Amino acid sequence: MKKSAPAIAAARARRRALRLAERANEIVAAHPEVDPDNIRHTLILLELPPWERLRRSLIRGRATAIFRK
Amino acid sequence: MAAPLPFSESELRILRALLRRKVRFMVVGLSAAAMQGSPVVTQDVDLWFENLTDPKLSQALQDVGATYVLRSVNNPPMLAGAGAELFEFVLRMDGLGEFTEETKNCVEIPLGRYKLKLLALERILASKVAANRPKDRLTIPVLRDALTASKGAKSGAKKKSQRKSRGRAD
Repeated sequence: MKKSAPAIAAARARRRALRLAERANEIVAAHPEVDPDNIRHTLILLELPPWERLRRSLIRGRATAIFRK
Repeated sequence: MAAPLPFSESELRILRALLRRKVRFMVVGLSAAAMQGSPVVTQDVDLWFENLTDPKLSQALQDVGATYVLRSVNNPPMLAGAGAELFEFVLRMDGLGEFTEETKNCVEIPLGRYKLKLLALERILASKVAANRPKDRLTIPVLRDALTASKGAKSGAKKKSQRKSRGRAD
């Protein structure tokens, strides 16, 4: 039976998540002093272009300030 | 299709004017760190200029209706004009060499037909360690981990490509 587009996308997302988790685990195993969340978030960001990384950083920074005000 | 840039039109005009006029500057601070993959938040983009008295800087700002407000007793020097609020002047970087020396430690990313210089993550970390303000102490561990992760990601990618070439050669 042919898979639907959402099912294909979900399978692809799952493979990507597993690949990232595996890579993060390798790095954490080699560097036990790190915070695993920082490693995971950095690997996610490194898959994005630099401008998208900045967009996420700026939006969250500005939103936090607005919320605090 | 390329993702839209995280700037308003007026913010982008300022950056392009600086690059078009060949003003010597680089992006530093947490915005530069974020662009290199660090999971940090920031509210502005720090710009380190080689020379604030460079006439090309004032020309670039004039091109877009912005200006440079001199330092006063109560305020550091700042940019003024539409889109200028995002950018913060950095006069010196704790723990680092002179601007010219640190340009060798930059990475470049494309901005249209120009190249924008970002201070390398290792050097951003070094300056935060040297500055050692309370807010730096919060971000230093995150920057360290991001550096470890990006080196790990590069070595992982290298191993994968070596495995692929070996597979093709066999």
